[in-house]
Amino acid sequence: MSYEKELMDKVQKGEILPDKLDIPILKYLWDASPLGFGAKENIRSFFKKISILNSFSDNEIRLFTKFLHRREFIANEVIFRQGDSGYGFYFIYDGSVNIYANHLNNNIEERGDLIIRLDRRQYFGEMGLLEDFNRRSATVIANENTVLLGIFKPDLEKMLEFYPVLGAKFLRETALIMANRMGQLTREVMSLKKKIKELESRV
Amino acid sequence: MHRNLKIKLFLFFFLLFATILFAILFPRLTLPFGFSYIVYLMSKPLTSLLMTGSKKQRFFFSTLLILGVSLSLLPLFAAFYNIDTDFSEFSRQLPEVQKNLQDKYFVFKVYIFEKFGYRLNIDPVTFMVKKLEKGGTLLLSQIPNYLSSFFEWMLLVPMFLYFLFFQSGKFGSKLVAAIPNSIFEKTYVLFSQFNTKFGEYIIAKFIEATILGTSVTIGLWAIGFPYPFVLGFIAGLTNILPYIGPVLGFIPALIIALLTHDPKTSMLAMCLIYLIANLIDMILVFPLLVSKVVDLNPIIVVVSVIVGGQVGGVVGMIVIIPFIAFFKLLFQEIYKDLSVQL
Repeated sequence: MSYEKELMDKVQKGEILPDKLDIPILKYLWDASPLGFGAKENIRSFFKKISILNSFSDNEIRLFTKFLHRREFIANEVIFRQGDSGYGFYFIYDGSVNIYANHLNNNIEERGDLIIRLDRRQYFGEMGLLEDFNRRSATVIANENTVLLGIFKPDLEKMLEFYPVLGAKFLRETALIMANRMGQLTREVMSLKKKIKELESRV
Repeated sequence: MHRNLKIKLFLFFFLLFATILFAILFPRLTLPFGFSYIVYLMSKPLTSLLMTGSKKQRFFFSTLLILGVSLSLLPLFAAFYNIDTDFSEFSRQLPEVQKNLQDKYFVFKVYIFEKFGYRLNIDPVTFMVKKLEKGGTLLLSQIPNYLSSFFEWMLLVPMFLYFLFFQSGKFGSKLVAAIPNSIFEKTYVLFSQFNTKFGEYIIAKFIEATILGTSVTIGLWAIGFPYPFVLGFIAGLTNILPYIGPVLGFIPALIIALLTHDPKTSMLAMCLIYLIANLIDMILVFPLLVSKVVDLNPIIVVVSVIVGGQVGGVVGMIVIIPFIAFFKLLFQEIYKDLSVQL
C-alpha cells in the first residue's frame, strides 16, 4: 500500500494524521530518483488497472500510450454534444464527467436528463471509434477539472498499420465493451417490455 | 462558453491565420517547404513498409528496396543522358525546323490567296520565333536568380526534410495539443484525412506519370520516331495535370511529326502509341490508383485545374485537386452538422 493511500484511509476513517510526514528515507529516495518510474509510469499503471486493458503486456501498454492524446477540461466544459460527429474514445485519467441525454440545444444550463456519472478509470465514446458516420448519442460534460486520454480514428488506423497485433487486440477489447453494452441494453429493453406488459394487463 | 476557452479559441484561429499569411507572403520559404513535405509524404508508405512486420520481413523489404533503387538508377541515368542528347539535337535542328515551318506557311499563304483571293498579312512563324528568342533572353537574364534559388533550395530542402523526418513527430503532437477542445475531434480527423489524401494523390500521380511516360518512350523508340525520351518525359510530366495533360503532352509530338517526317506512316503510328498509352492510363492505371483517392466529379476536376493554373501556375494545377478533395470533406462535415442541428 502506498503512503498516500495510507493517509487517505486514515482521513476516511477519521483517524488523526501525524504532525510530520513519516516517509522512510529509502522510499523517498526511491520515489524521487530520476532513474525511477515517473509520470509516464503512472499512465501505464493507470491502464494496467483498467479492466478492458488488463490483458495487455507492459510493452503493449507502452506502445498503446503513444497513440493517446491528453486533453484537459475545466469544470462544466462540454466534451462533446449529443448529435456531434464522433471520432474518439476517451478514458478518464483524472476527475469525473456527467453524461446527459436529450440535450440538443446549445444552452449548457439546460443539460437534459443525467444518465450517469463516470469517474477515474472509466471510459466512454467507444462507438465513435468504430462506427463510420457516428453521431454522439449523449452529451458529456466535465463535472470538475478533468483530464481525459483519448484515442481517435486516425490513431487507430495508424496503430493497425504499424502495430497490427496491438490494434487487433485493442479492437477486440472495444468490441467486447460494445457487446457488454448491447447486452445491458437488451436486458433493459426486456425489463421495460415486461413492465409495459404488466401495466397493460393492469389497465 | 468560459472566457478562457473563448480566448484560447481566438488565439488558435489567429495563429492559424498568421501562419497562412506568412506562407503567402514568403513563398521563398513556403515553396521549398511544400516540396520537402511532398517528398516526406511520398516516403511514408516506404517507412510504414520498413517499420511493420517481423525482422525477417523488414530485412527482406530493405534489401528489395536497396536493390530496386540501385537498379532503377541505371536506366534513369541512361534516360537523362538521352534526354540531354535529344535536347541538343533538337536545338541543333531548330533553324531547320524554323525554315521548314516558314516554307510550309508560305505554301499555305499562296494556297489561300489562289483559292480565296485573300492575302494573309500576319506572319505567325516570325512572331513565334521572336517570342522564343525573347523568352530565351529573359531566361538567360534570370539564370543568376534561378541559381541563387537553386542554392537556397539545396540548403533549405535537406533542413526541412531533417525536420519533417526527425522532429515533426514532437512538433506535431504539440501542435495537436494546442487545438482547442471544442473543435479538437473534427480538426484532428480532417487534418489527418487531408494528410493521407494529399500523400496518396501525389504518389498515385507520380506512378501514373511514370507508367505513361515509359510507355510513350518505349512506343516511340520502337517505331523510330525522333526524340522518344524528350517526348516520353513531356508526356509523363504533362500527365500530372488531369484531363488537359494528355492533350498538352501530345502537341509536341504532333508538331514534330508535321514538320520533320513523312506524315502518312509514322504520324499514324505515333498517334496510335499516344492513344494506347492514354487508354492504358484511363482504363487501368487511373481507376486503380487515382480515382479512389480523388472521388470528384470530372467537371469539378477540370474547373479546379483551370482555377489552380490561374492562381498558382503549374504547381497550382497539381496541388489544387487534393485541396478540393479536402474541401469536399470539410463541407460534407459542416453540412452533416447543420442537418443535425436543424
